[in-house]
Amino acid sequence: MTEILFALGLGDRIVGVTSFCDYPPEAKKKPKIGGMSNPSLEAVVSLKPDIVVMTTDGNPKEFEERLRSLKIKTYVFWGRQISELPQGLREMGTALGVKEKADTLAKEIEESLDRLKRKHRGYQKRKILFVVWPEPLIVAGSGSIAHEAITILGGENIAAKAATSYPKYSLEEILRQSPDIIFIGKGMDKEMDKVSQGFLGRLRNAPAVRNKNVFFVNEYLYRLGPRTMKGIEELAMYMER
Amino acid sequence: MKIRMMIIISVSVLAFGTSMVLGPRIINPFAMDGTSREIFFSIRAPRSVVAVLMGMALGASGAVLQGILRNPLADPYILGISSGASLSAAFGILGGFTFLGALTIPVLAFVGAIITGGIVGMMGWKRGGLWPERLLLAGVGLSFLFSALLMLMMSVSSDEGLRKATLWIFGDLSMSEWSRVPYGLIFVTTGIVISVARAKALNALILGDEFAHSLGFAPHRERVLLFVSVGLMTAASVSLGGMIGFVGLLVPHMIRFFMGSDSKALLPASALGGGALLCIADLISRSVLPPMELPAGVITAIIGSPYFLYLLRRRNVLGI
Repeated sequence: MTEILFALGLGDRIVGVTSFCDYPPEAKKKPKIGGMSNPSLEAVVSLKPDIVVMTTDGNPKEFEERLRSLKIKTYVFWGRQISELPQGLREMGTALGVKEKADTLAKEIEESLDRLKRKHRGYQKRKILFVVWPEPLIVAGSGSIAHEAITILGGENIAAKAATSYPKYSLEEILRQSPDIIFIGKGMDKEMDKVSQGFLGRLRNAPAVRNKNVFFVNEYLYRLGPRTMKGIEELAMYMER
Repeated sequence: MKIRMMIIISVSVLAFGTSMVLGPRIINPFAMDGTSREIFFSIRAPRSVVAVLMGMALGASGAVLQGILRNPLADPYILGISSGASLSAAFGILGGFTFLGALTIPVLAFVGAIITGGIVGMMGWKRGGLWPERLLLAGVGLSFLFSALLMLMMSVSSDEGLRKATLWIFGDLSMSEWSRVPYGLIFVTTGIVISVARAKALNALILGDEFAHSLGFAPHRERVLLFVSVGLMTAASVSLGGMIGFVGLLVPHMIRFFMGSDSKALLPASALGGGALLCIADLISRSVLPPMELPAGVITAIIGSPYFLYLLRRRNVLGI
């Protein structure tokens, strides 16, 4: 959320953020009001905000209700998928009085999505796996932003069958489905390449590993926001190879 | 008794074999193509071996602990060994340590477990011996402390490492590989050998220190030996795959219903029973919702608890 507010040019009007808000770097300097799932009511109230912007994806609903009962205005961003991002941005822009800026941003996103979709329509469909963490193995299933990104780019997410967004996945199923490309999310400044060594060693006979189509990508696709597009473009860059 | 032991051995062997052949898909070991062979040998086989080792360690150490603590509620995790291991592993996961590659977290967990075992042993030591009540209380105390530290670490970390740490603590066999087998095998076997070798002494200890003394056993020395064997087995099992509930607490009871409480039979049978249960639980955990995997600990409790409650209704426990 903080990221979107900054992108809408509202950065200097933010009085507090959660400890999860680490982008852009300026956000880290803002006063903290607690965690994403356990914000402190007291901290929020003492900052006297005009409006509290929240998301359905991570902030507790009860917290929003408490705020409203204390007569603090709230705006809840409901978008959870890439396809919902432009519309969500427009509504948020209207609610926060930055309609024009939000419209422009939404339009930019829609255009680049269209461009990427068109470009990748002609590509041959490839089997892709997006790994969030190698041990225990957590991958991006249907419902995750990474899954949507892969689908937009015309790829086939081999973990789409799993019911949840980030399922704990079966290693033998990956070997069977033999992915052509493996993306590994880098997470926050971890040495992901080292952490993944064991995992990749066990998949040495999968086409992706054999043909060196394993790519470490940034964490853009873990959150919906202005950087989501960057994340899709990063995947696109590797898939175009 | 021999027949019953044979039954338990056959059930375990069967469970072990089944867990390798069945799964989200059935693999016929006599007709495998390249992918199936790879899955069989480098994924399922190490996984089943690790499950057996962990289950054996938990089953046997549960049986030993219930004996030396003279407490039917004792399980290998009550000594705080597992919370020490979890704390140390979570520390490694959240800190992103990778100095030993894929073995980093298991090794950290093992070290954490051994250190904790040492502390519990020291706290339980008084007047030249280990005292059951002191051990138990020291273990419970330490395990509260470590769980609190773990919660603290998790609440202040904004990292996604959090979710992985949680998953790890709930037990995960999915990444078992051959590289973990040798040290697991060494520590689990050592533990089982020590405890089975001291089974007669354990029988005597259950009846009381004076009784053990009159039979020619030195109660304190025996307790130390048995405690060390439990420490090794529990540490190895936590380090192999995190915490798996139920096995250490209830498998020994189930075996007691079936075999009686002579430790000479109870210890090896509990080890086999634990191994078999964990193999089957792991098999179910990866087969019910493919391609997703569930934590094996959930399954051990779901299949084990109703059976245990059924036995409890039908049989006498501890002479009541």
